[in-house]
Amino acid sequence: MAEITITPRARAGGIRKLLERYPFLPALLIVVGLLLLNGVFSPNSLSYRSLTGLLSTYMALILLAIAQTYVVYAGDIDLSAGSILSLVNVAIVVLMERWGGGGGAVLLALALGLLLGLACGLLNGIVVAALRLQAIVATFATSIFFTGFALYILPVAGTPAPALFWRTYGGRLLGVPFAFYILAALTAVLLVLSRTRLVTQLLAVGDDQQAAYQTGLPVVPIRIKGYLLCGLFSALAAFCITGDTASGDPLVGGKMTLYSVAAVVLGGSALSGGWGTVVGSALGALTIGLINSVVFFMGTPSEWQNFVQGFAILVVLMAGVLAGRRARA
Amino acid sequence: MTKLRLSGVSKAYGATLALRRGDLEVMAGEVHVLMGSNGSGKSTLCKVIAGSVRPDAGKILIDNRPVTITGPHAAHAQGIGIFYQELSLAAHRSVEENICLAALPIKSHLFVDRTLLKQRAARYIRLFEEVAGEGFSADALVGNLRPDQRQLVEIMKALASEAPIMIFDEPTSALDRAQVDRFFEILRDLKRQDRGVIFISHRMDEIKAIGDRVTIIRDGETITTLNLAETDAASVIRLMVGGSGDMPASQSSAPAVVNGKDGAAMTVRDLSGRGFRNVSFEVAKGEILGFGGLHGQGQSALLRAIFGAGSISSGEVLIGDGRFDASSPRDAIRRGCAYVSGDRGRDGVISGRPIIENVTPIHYLRDRLLIARPSKLRDKVVPALQSMHTKFQSLFHPINSLSGGNQQKVIIARWLIDRPDVLLLDDPTKGIDLSAKADLFALIRQLAAEGLGILLYSSEDAELLGNANRILVFNGGSISRELTGGDRTRYNLYQAAYEAA
Repeated sequence: MAEITITPRARAGGIRKLLERYPFLPALLIVVGLLLLNGVFSPNSLSYRSLTGLLSTYMALILLAIAQTYVVYAGDIDLSAGSILSLVNVAIVVLMERWGGGGGAVLLALALGLLLGLACGLLNGIVVAALRLQAIVATFATSIFFTGFALYILPVAGTPAPALFWRTYGGRLLGVPFAFYILAALTAVLLVLSRTRLVTQLLAVGDDQQAAYQTGLPVVPIRIKGYLLCGLFSALAAFCITGDTASGDPLVGGKMTLYSVAAVVLGGSALSGGWGTVVGSALGALTIGLINSVVFFMGTPSEWQNFVQGFAILVVLMAGVLAGRRARA
Repeated sequence: MTKLRLSGVSKAYGATLALRRGDLEVMAGEVHVLMGSNGSGKSTLCKVIAGSVRPDAGKILIDNRPVTITGPHAAHAQGIGIFYQELSLAAHRSVEENICLAALPIKSHLFVDRTLLKQRAARYIRLFEEVAGEGFSADALVGNLRPDQRQLVEIMKALASEAPIMIFDEPTSALDRAQVDRFFEILRDLKRQDRGVIFISHRMDEIKAIGDRVTIIRDGETITTLNLAETDAASVIRLMVGGSGDMPASQSSAPAVVNGKDGAAMTVRDLSGRGFRNVSFEVAKGEILGFGGLHGQGQSALLRAIFGAGSISSGEVLIGDGRFDASSPRDAIRRGCAYVSGDRGRDGVISGRPIIENVTPIHYLRDRLLIARPSKLRDKVVPALQSMHTKFQSLFHPINSLSGGNQQKVIIARWLIDRPDVLLLDDPTKGIDLSAKADLFALIRQLAAEGLGILLYSSEDAELLGNANRILVFNGGSISRELTGGDRTRYNLYQAAYEAA
């Protein structure tokens, strides 16, 4: 009798434990499900080549979602992530073009692009954490500022990136698509980052800022560092979008900001902070990419595509919430 | 040797003086008790020492050296560790991470040293190994723990600071007896190591058991410091309350013997649900039925379930003769059931809203009130508040401007406008000062005399013994013993609680 009552509880506890350890599991299931759905509508879309294409197209969103995750960890938000991406995109394209598009020029431009991303992150961090402005409004304001700066650098979209740059991004190295090298490097970086003291501290701040302060954690520097990480990964995202579109566009990232926030939530992180994984956010970004591709392969008429996309994201979000609730009950 | 000395410390929040003149002297190797009613400034004083509140004036000396504490981090560096009354835990982090959060061990300047972290945390977890209870482990998330276990984590976190001066601001409010005993053994160890301990509690017996000296604070001012061995509870309380006129005389008076001739107010038959099983009892109109036993033995779960906020798997509940089985608190309220929880922050207070709004929600629901007119409501609200001597400046001040005890009075007042038939009290006096407790119990007994059936769960034996007509002792989710008449003694209560535990 006793055993009968204990067994199901222990099993429910097991799923709960698993979800606590890997909160991105529902997101992973959804990604697998969407991949299968893609395969149903267009068997060709599961080929090695199309998957590589999907990865290199959505690598920018994946990186932007990861960028967003680090600020969300601390209970903050960055509505300027997309604008940082745009700004870095036009800055490196213009610099590469000016310097002639050679290997050295490309590398130097990329280094400056990283610094630019960090500088934007620092500005956000100071405005939000040190000056204590509301994150959602303050970063909205800086996003307008960054967009203005991007438009100043490149008023009209269209300046092409050097062939060396986008050919490398879209091409192969030693027979392996370049996107996979990025993925491998990204995995290594994320693994290293996840063990840092900073990530634990960001999560502790996101959990309860007052408690973290009373514990003696330097809350303001920690939050600023979160924004620095966000700026850094936004710049990396800009590299990928530049490789993918092969041109500069001062407004390219505008739409991506809220997609990155959606990806973070789809990945199982709490927008209130203290809880989440970067892997989940990456899967969330892939979910959004796969939804777009399913909608496309289903042959939805173009005027209906937004409608179906929005609806599909809502459904996936609901599925994630239900899975989480079921596991907790 | 003096470890810590404060003189003339003050702190104002806007117009309200939280601390007028705080003086305190803590010696090495003593447990120094701070006593004062709620809102008297004890917690503010502690936070000033711990650096989370910056004082407006005053001097702080550590080991006879004047110091300026700029923040919690600086306080940590000066050798001060603190247990926060409201806890300072990260709910989504593990127990071990929380214990070490203030000083995460690192390697290569960047990474968390997991092995060292585990070792360090294990040292403090081991201290409470036998009393921590089910589900407590180093890698459990703090948010999944019971309130008493969370409180243990905060204790471990304070201990992990290994500070020469440690502050414990109401560390025992959710703990059961075994946990408190273990904690006191640890405090005695700290004394032996010549550390200075500041301890706050509202339980007189605890203070007697562990304290060496007591400093009494009233209205933000240090009144005096006494040797606990040379004083008694009555004189301490007199100093705390101020004038001797409003001494809580009701505290120890024995209640009337069972008088269940008016019929049953509530009947519970074979009720089972999450956290309790096969519970049956009957509470008569005008009776106060006490729930005793160790903390977390199903008393709260049962009260919440009756109120429609928990789960019931089988059994039935009747109010009067009719079946009651409330499906939600809303339903329960409509049918004349009231519930007051000790966890005001979670279950009672509508934070940030005016006092009048905090008194009226039940009235809105029961009267199906659509349009609220403050002038009309005032006539109903004010008598309800006055019946408990609630102190407030105006009905439109936010409830957060009141002390804990007065907040709880406001919460109880909301049930008095439309009288319920049954009142469920779930440890209602948690973290409330003695004079507020006295007011509260005077009211509860008056309500019983007016014919309400009252279920009272209290974690303090004295409250049960002093107020309940009968006491049901809970153990492992069911009733293990019923104490009536002359059996209601501290000894019996203690013994029944520990039976089979």
